[in-house]
Amino acid sequence: MFQGQRGWFCRSVSSDLRQLWVAEGGTISDPRAAEFLFSCDASHPDTRRIYQSIDYIEDNATVFHAYYLSAVANAEIKNSVALGHFVLPPACLQKEIRRKIGNFIWEQDQHSLIEKPDNS
Amino acid sequence: ATDNCSKILKYRCSGCIAVGKSLNSRNFSKLLHSCPYQCDRHKVIVEAEDTYKSELRKSLICNKKILLTPRRRRQLSTES
Ligand SMILES: [Zn+2]
Repeated sequence: MFQGQRGWFCRSVSSDLRQLWVAEGGTISDPRAAEFLFSCDASHPDTRRIYQSIDYIEDNATVFHAYYLSAVANAEIKNSVALGHFVLPPACLQKEIRRKIGNFIWEQDQHSLIEKPDNS
Repeated sequence: ATDNCSKILKYRCSGCIAVGKSLNSRNFSKLLHSCPYQCDRHKVIVEAEDTYKSELRKSLICNKKILLTPRRRRQLSTES
């Protein structure tokens, strides 16, 4: 599904999730070259650097939560998962956003990920 | 009728229905900004991020002025 796509991963992303990306044909790259930016923690210094970049300010860099990759892996139809539900906003905005719209979708996913029994 | 209408519009949010390869970190924000029917969820996120970005932009411009053009700035302030 991600054949020929370059992804950047914050160090907050587990190697399991990176492997899902590679298994789907994606390659790992630096943040400038990547088409996809993945993180599991908006307050991690790697990801904070993205939020302070010109690319981000100019609307050219949206960070997505890497749980998108596990959602894709678990979905029956892989390209039916909406990437747009996994937007990861800067940490300082999350509280305010949560107050208005409730939990993020990736916060709900976290639950099902942890409870997966046939994992290892 | 209007209720039904807003329901349809709700599910037309580009951020929610766009799937597949074409969407990525580079074009998502622009897609969302160009969507006239943002759902509540995306609207709130976009608004928060936009405010954050504009504040960052302002502080960047300030820094640049101070760091890069001190002489020019001094000239401008004495001229006026
Ligand atoms: Zn939406």
